[in-house]
Amino acid sequence: MTSATPVSVPTDAPARPSPKSPAAAAPAPTARRSARRRELGACGVLMTPFFVLLTTVFLIPVGTAVYLSFFSDDQPGLGFGPERTVFAGLRNYTAVLADPTFLGGLGTVALYCLIYIPLMVVGALALALLLDSGVVRLRGTVQLALFLPHAVPGIIAALIWLYLYTPGISPVIDLLGRADITVDFLGVHMVLPSIVNIALWSNLGYNMVVFYAALQAVPREVIEASVVDGAGPVRTALQVKAPLVRSSIVMVAMFTLIFALQLFTEPMLLSQSTPMISSRFSPSMYIYDAAFTRNNYGLAAASSVILLLCTIALSYGVTRWTNRADAAEEGAR
Amino acid sequence: MPGRQSRRSVLATIAALPLTGALSACGGGGGDTRSGGTSSTGRTVSSRTGRKTRITFWSALRGSQEVVDAFNRGHDTIQVDFQQIPGGAQGGYAKLSNAARAGNAPDIATLEYPQVPGFAIDGVCRDITDLVGDGLRAKLLPQALGLTTFEKRVFSVPLDVEPMVLHYRTDLFERYGLTVPRTWDDFEDAARTVRDKSDDRRMALFPTDGDNHVAAYAWQAGAQWFDTAGGAWNVSLADAPTRRVAAYWQRLTDEDLVFMNAVESRHSDVQIGNGLVLSRFSGAWDAGAQMKARPGQKGQWAIAPSPQWDPADPGVGTHGGSTFAVTRDCADPEAAMEFIEWQISHPDALRARLSSGASSQYPAAPDLVDVGRKAFDRSYYGGQDIYTLFEQEAHKIRPGWVWGPRMTATGRIMKDGLARASGGQGSILGAIRAAQEGTMPDLKALGLSTTQRST
Repeated sequence: MTSATPVSVPTDAPARPSPKSPAAAAPAPTARRSARRRELGACGVLMTPFFVLLTTVFLIPVGTAVYLSFFSDDQPGLGFGPERTVFAGLRNYTAVLADPTFLGGLGTVALYCLIYIPLMVVGALALALLLDSGVVRLRGTVQLALFLPHAVPGIIAALIWLYLYTPGISPVIDLLGRADITVDFLGVHMVLPSIVNIALWSNLGYNMVVFYAALQAVPREVIEASVVDGAGPVRTALQVKAPLVRSSIVMVAMFTLIFALQLFTEPMLLSQSTPMISSRFSPSMYIYDAAFTRNNYGLAAASSVILLLCTIALSYGVTRWTNRADAAEEGAR
Repeated sequence: MPGRQSRRSVLATIAALPLTGALSACGGGGGDTRSGGTSSTGRTVSSRTGRKTRITFWSALRGSQEVVDAFNRGHDTIQVDFQQIPGGAQGGYAKLSNAARAGNAPDIATLEYPQVPGFAIDGVCRDITDLVGDGLRAKLLPQALGLTTFEKRVFSVPLDVEPMVLHYRTDLFERYGLTVPRTWDDFEDAARTVRDKSDDRRMALFPTDGDNHVAAYAWQAGAQWFDTAGGAWNVSLADAPTRRVAAYWQRLTDEDLVFMNAVESRHSDVQIGNGLVLSRFSGAWDAGAQMKARPGQKGQWAIAPSPQWDPADPGVGTHGGSTFAVTRDCADPEAAMEFIEWQISHPDALRARLSSGASSQYPAAPDLVDVGRKAFDRSYYGGQDIYTLFEQEAHKIRPGWVWGPRMTATGRIMKDGLARASGGQGSILGAIRAAQEGTMPDLKALGLSTTQRST
């Protein structure tokens, strides 16, 4: 997320000069040392909660999952013998990677990301640019209306949409039916778009606010300059403003990607009323199913680790790629 | 492992402390009341007699409360605390495995046959081979006990065994001039007649959530989905008999001779309730469920043997049926077994269950069939002696069928595939193959020895 462009998310700006400047100003070496010690102490106090939480809610669970994925309480043969804990090696990993239902889930999520992320980024950016351009009246109200769905918890959102998707009780399907349009939102082909729609509804407003905040930080003189140069509002938005909030776009895309990979709540709830969403629809649902209906904790742990590695690899890939693109752009300038 | 166990029991003790206090206070206040099944009175009773064993029992079966009440009335030294739990698919099995992991499983759990090997492998079921005496063994239908025995060890005791039978509408059969089909070819012809003569009625339903139906059809045709020969789980869901069954139902669904939707659904209720479907395939138990669910259709239904592939070599698969397992956590397995033995073989137990009016279970102990014959209210089925029919069918159950170690998961994948097949994606056989492919990684990750045949 490190950006070479001078304009960035506003919070970056004041953070940069602060740590070094008091130390540089201190004249005597002893005073410098004590100041340094105080600084380290403050760092320690401020960062301890973070590391405590990181350890208890991230490192320990991840460590447990890794352990569970390699060790197993086995009963040889048919499985009715006495249990003994053995090192299972990569057994769970090969099992997961050979499981067509897990690979199918990965495929589903990949398709979901391909539909959802571009729609989300482009949609949120377009809305933010519209709001920023001043075309929209009642800006505050519009912003609130768009942001409000984000305040609805995911499970409630899924319930609301489930109601709107279910034939027989949905007023939407009823209205469409009167216009002679039959849509089965929970049918074979519509299920994924239906889930994308729920996610968009929930998160569009939030990401729009992120973009809008970034746009507020675009220096007015740059925009004035572009207007003086004869750029219309559309051109200003697309060729001046949008490139200046590049780092926010990357950030939103990455967070959206990470959340999308963990797709769980919406399909889990919808699966209650459509057989088209299987119990292993996404990798997260696969993990849940492996642990809680199949009582196969080794398999669940191995698939969790694989999902984690995929997420890390993809996020790293995205950052590397954008950094390189940034550097290339810099070089071209 | 022992360390974890003890920490858990300490925690459990701490958690139970306030509860014990409340109960003893309660018992002190109402110490004279002996009636009622609450634990507070039970505690008082036990302190009076000195040695009374309490057994906890979980079940989702209809009529269980009546059975437990009858047992408790007749027994002094053992008292059973019954808890009605949701059906397996509705979370009953998840509840059981979570309780077992937490170390507070009931003494006796109710398992359907397909779930027995899974719970045995997970160590929830206790190996009760030594507690099943020759007397009890002799009381049970061998095919039923065979389903709960692995490597010569018994993990659960069968309560009922449910041969799949044909429930049909006598009035509608008459209207369309149909006779009861004896072979599957007859059945197909009859289905064609119904489709040709009626727009909205169909002969039967092929359930998209019917993994157990598919299993019963395949079992009848001679399939062997799982087999434990050679100390390994040999998996072959798509064997030749299964392929034959899949092709048969595929043709019936393709030609619109049968409905294809979920059976556990409002849709299916409407089909049966409005007389749109002329017949149902299900276990003997369904006769009682039907009686309870649709009293208005009294006198319209009769029951017949399932059609056969080859009448010269008749066979039947089972659909449903339950067993009782003693859990590993049980403190007094002998007492638990006494209740189980009474429940599966005592005439009073069956009478009590049938008195609920919602059960028509076919007991796994053949001696009880006579009791069922007498105790079952025949009026709904126009006086038909359905227990005699069940008895004939039970003897046709093909021996040697084995359920797999993760049937819930295997069945779910099959259901997913069948649902997609009904939406035009894939086929019935495809769903069966997918179920096998999705099961193998599970078994391998559990560390079981496996082999598989994909033909």
